[in-house]
Formats: sequence, structure tokens, C-alpha cells
Amino acid sequence: MTDCRIGIEAGRVVMRLAGAWQLARLRQLDEALKACPAPGAEQGAGAPQVLDGSALDALDTAAALQLCGWLRARGADPATMPVRGFDPRFERVLRQVAAASGDQAAARPAALRPPIARFGALAVSAGEMLHGHLSFLGFVIVETGRALVRPGRLRVSELVTQLSRTCVTAVPVVALVTALIGLVFAYLLGLQAEQYGANIFVVDGVALGMTREFSPLIVAVIVAGRSGASFAAQLGTMRLNEETDAIAVLGLSVAQVLVVPRVLALVLALPLLVFVGNLAGLAGAAVIASTMLDITPSTFLARLHDSLAPRHAIIGLVKAPVFALLIAVIGCRMGMSGSRDTRTIGINTTSTVVQSIVGVIVIDALFAVVLQEIGW
Amino acid sequence: MSAAIELRGITTRFGRQTIHDGIDLTIGRGELVAVIGGSGTGKSVLLREIIGLHRPDAGTVRLLGTDVWQAAGAELAAVRRRFGMMFQDGALFSSLTVAGNVAVPLRESGLVPESLVAPLVALRLAQAGLPADAGAKMPAQLSGGMRKRAAIARALALEPELLFLDEPTSGLDPITARAFDRLLEGLCEDLGITVVVVTHDLDTLMTIARRVVVLGGGHVVADGDLSTILASEDPWIREYFSSRTSRDRREDAEADGT
Repeated sequence: MTDCRIGIEAGRVVMRLAGAWQLARLRQLDEALKACPAPGAEQGAGAPQVLDGSALDALDTAAALQLCGWLRARGADPATMPVRGFDPRFERVLRQVAAASGDQAAARPAALRPPIARFGALAVSAGEMLHGHLSFLGFVIVETGRALVRPGRLRVSELVTQLSRTCVTAVPVVALVTALIGLVFAYLLGLQAEQYGANIFVVDGVALGMTREFSPLIVAVIVAGRSGASFAAQLGTMRLNEETDAIAVLGLSVAQVLVVPRVLALVLALPLLVFVGNLAGLAGAAVIASTMLDITPSTFLARLHDSLAPRHAIIGLVKAPVFALLIAVIGCRMGMSGSRDTRTIGINTTSTVVQSIVGVIVIDALFAVVLQEIGW
Repeated sequence: MSAAIELRGITTRFGRQTIHDGIDLTIGRGELVAVIGGSGTGKSVLLREIIGLHRPDAGTVRLLGTDVWQAAGAELAAVRRRFGMMFQDGALFSSLTVAGNVAVPLRESGLVPESLVAPLVALRLAQAGLPADAGAKMPAQLSGGMRKRAAIARALALEPELLFLDEPTSGLDPITARAFDRLLEGLCEDLGITVVVVTHDLDTLMTIARRVVVLGGGHVVADGDLSTILASEDPWIREYFSSRTSRDRREDAEADGT
């Protein structure tokens, strides 16, 4: 039972508090205080002049704060107003809170900017992001050049670790996904080709499509999700833990220790994974060819040999390191930039994957247009 | 009223290593207890076991009358609202401002009307000795001492009956550390909060601890007020207290002489 009453005793306005004034009952107290007569109400009472706590069972700081706020709003000063019947502990709480909560101006939340301004800010930050990526790319190229000029600087063990993480462990998922794509691609092409009795051309279509477009693109998307995100999250956490600072203070170059091995590893790994993707995709197609289209595996191989110009496969393999550079640079830069808190790590990791995939597709389109123009 | 904390036969092992070998300890309400012990004697682990973050291999933990490791989810949550914990490095939520950090328990409890959240946050910051403008800062912008104060403010948010602090003065300069000691003393005496502090700070022990619990070798080696502990024959305790510099002791002797 929590309650408060205002009455007049010997010409003074006395406010009587009763019950347990505690945090758990703040809402009830709110009601009770609101129901308490306002100054100058029925009995002609002004602001309370005396607090009576003889029926008070408990008073904690939260409830005291609420009481102080109520008293101040009515022109009474809880820091100095006389009290009676208070347990000494409760009086201490009241006085402490009254002193600590004296003058406080609540901070106003920043007003929301108009949509145009937000759009502008977004565009500016996107431009700054791109600018940052480009200068980071330059920085990475310079640092990689240094490492290659003086191989003693290259962190071989870190490079091997990263190769194992980004390449070897990615083989199963890459093989599975590209095999399924090859399978579906051959099946859909086969449905059409069968109608014209042109079964054998399925091999031409699958070979060209997989090696030149699908395999590099799909592998790059998988790697962006696996390794790009992992770079951003790992480097971001290392920065949060001041591990990157420790590296710098030990006289080592953060770029040489962390960034260069990751970029090099990914640039080496992606062509290898694309090659795995090519093989798996063609194997998937061969399965459909032999079961649905009456093309035996040996016929498949012979036709592949005759119809697939090496340049298609080479173009696919040449695109891979470009994609890899893009993914690695975005992943590392997103890990190394932004404020040092956990939220930024999450945002940057997501952003890495989105930026990488969009970037890969844009670069792939550029490749397609340029190669078309030069007649490859 | 039941004791604030009751430990019976707490046993903890990490692999083959036994950290606690049957610890019994009772802490009454309103006490200010310091837990000390060498590195690796399991002070922080014991704290984590008391607040329900690490399950002991054997033994019971009763916290404010509830068996922490037998309690159902809702019961445990209810107990957790009744104590505050300050982690060693503050463990502030790095994506929220200091005021936002303190407001989290207030809002999540559902007990505090929204109109009272901001003033209550300001009160908690003032109680912890932070300036009013600290509320708008991000944890990363704070100094070590201020981060610890912000952590205390968050731990105090819901009027805890019990406050746990893991190394509250580590990494602080002596002036700030003493101010911290006074803050804890005030919380214990004025608000009647039971305070359990794991510490390495000799001065904290000397100035504020009414009761000192010494852990060592998996047991409670000594337990009592400072004079009891100082009179102990345990070699670790003797070495611990003699680690104060000879200059300190000379000054003490001079002070006694005059």
C-alpha cells in the first residue's frame, strides 16, 4: 500500500507519505501523486511545507526522485524542507537524491533532417566511401608491391593460413553449388535443344556459359559471403580489441601483417576456385547429358574439346583475380574503418557483402561490354 | 530475512585443474565484503557462479534466498533484477551512449514510466559521480575511470539490494581509486546495499572493507575483519600485506609513534 496525503496541521501544510515507496511501485506512486491535491486546492493548501514519513515503510532513490520532482513542480525545495518521523536511512536517501537531482536539463534528441538533406548526406557518404576504397586500393597495391620486391617482408605463414581458409575450405561448397548450376543449366538447355534434335549443342552452351560467366560470378559471390565478410569481421574485432594498435606499437606494419596476406591469398585463391567450379559445373552437365540427352561422357568430352575455344575459359579465369582484389580490398577496408564499437562491426560486415556482390556484378558487366567491343 | 549470499560446497574444475574445492561462505545483508586472493584462485569465477553466469561443478548458490542454479527462468530473471554487477572493464554496450546504457535496465524492467527514465538516468549518473554531460558520450570516448563509473551507474539503475564489483579500482590512479572507495562506502552505508567487491587494491581493503574473505588453494583461507586477516599466519596473506612498500610502513610507524 503506497499513499500520500496532504493536510493542514497547526497552520502548516503537511504531506504524509505512507507505505513502500520503491522502484517496483513507481507507476502506483505516479497515480497517487497525481491524485494528491494541487496547491491552492480545496483546503486552500499551498506547496507542502513539511514531509511526514512516520508511516513510510521503504524509500528508495527512484521513488525519492519522483517525489522530489513533484515537490519542485509545486515550488517546494526537497533539499531543505523540514521532515519529521523519517527513518534516518530514508531521510538520507531523500536528501541525497534532492541534492543530486537539483539542476538537470534533459538533453534534447537531434531533430530529424528533411529527406532531401538525408539523401544528400547519403550521396556524399557514398562518394566518400568510394574515394576511401580507391585510396585503400592504391595503398594495398603499394604495400603488396613492397612485399613482392622484398620477399623477406612477406608473411608466408599468414599467407598460407589465409590460402587454406579462403581456398581449401571453400572447395566443397564451391563444387557443390557450381555442379548444381551446371546440372540445372544443362537440363533447361536440353529441354529446348531436344525439340530440334540438337542435343549435342547443349555441350557447347554449357561449356561457354559455365567457364566464361557462371563459374566466376557464382564463385565470387560465394567468396564475398565467406571470406569478404570474415575479413571485415575479424579485422574489425582486432581493431576493437586494440590488437591492430599492438601490432603497430611492436613496430610492425598492420598492412604487411594483416592486409597484404589476405589480399594476396584471395587473389591466388579465386582463380583456383573458379577452375574447380568449371570442372564441377561441367561434371554436373555431363550427368544430365548422359542420363537425359543420350550423350555419353566420352562424346561429351570430345565435343567439349572441339567446341570450347580456350579464350572463354581464360577470360573466366582472368576475371577471377579482379573480383578477388575487389572483395579483399572492400573486406579489409571495411574491417579497418569506422568507429570502434560492436555495432559498426555488424554494419560493416553486412556492407562488405553487399558492396562486394554489387561490385562483382558491375565489373563483370564491364568485362562483357569491353570484350564484346574488342571482339573476344 | 535470508542472507544475501549463501554458498555451500562450491566446487569448480577446469579440465583437471580444481579451482574451488568446497567453498562455504555466507554474506549477510548490508555487509561490505572484499574478496581477495592471488591470481588464478578463482575470485572472478566465484563471482560469475554467484550471479548465475558459470555453473559450478558441485554445490549450491543461494542468492537473496533463491537457489540460482535450480531456479526456473522467470525466477532467475526476478533475482537478477535485484542485484547489479559491474564487470572489470565496464562491459558497457559500445553502440549506446552512456545515458542509453543506464536506461537499458530501466526500460527493460517495465517498472519505470517513460517520463521518469531521463531524470532517473541523470540521478544514477550523479550518484556514480559522473558530470551531467557524460550521458551524451559514447563509451569509447570515456576515460577508464569514467567508464567504470558509468558501469556502476548502470548497475545501480534498478535499485539493487546487492552490488557485485569485479576489480573496481584496477587501472585507476590512486586519487580516482579512493574516490571510488568512498562511493562504494556511501552506497553501502546510505542506501543499505550489500556490496561484494573482488579486488587487488590494498588501499581499498584498508579503507572500506568491513570484512575480508581470502581465497587460496580452492578454499576460504581466512574470513573476518581486517585485524583478523592481518593476524593470520597464512604465508600468502603475510606476503600480500607486506607487499606494501617499506615507505608506507615507515610512515605508518611514524604515525603510530606520534
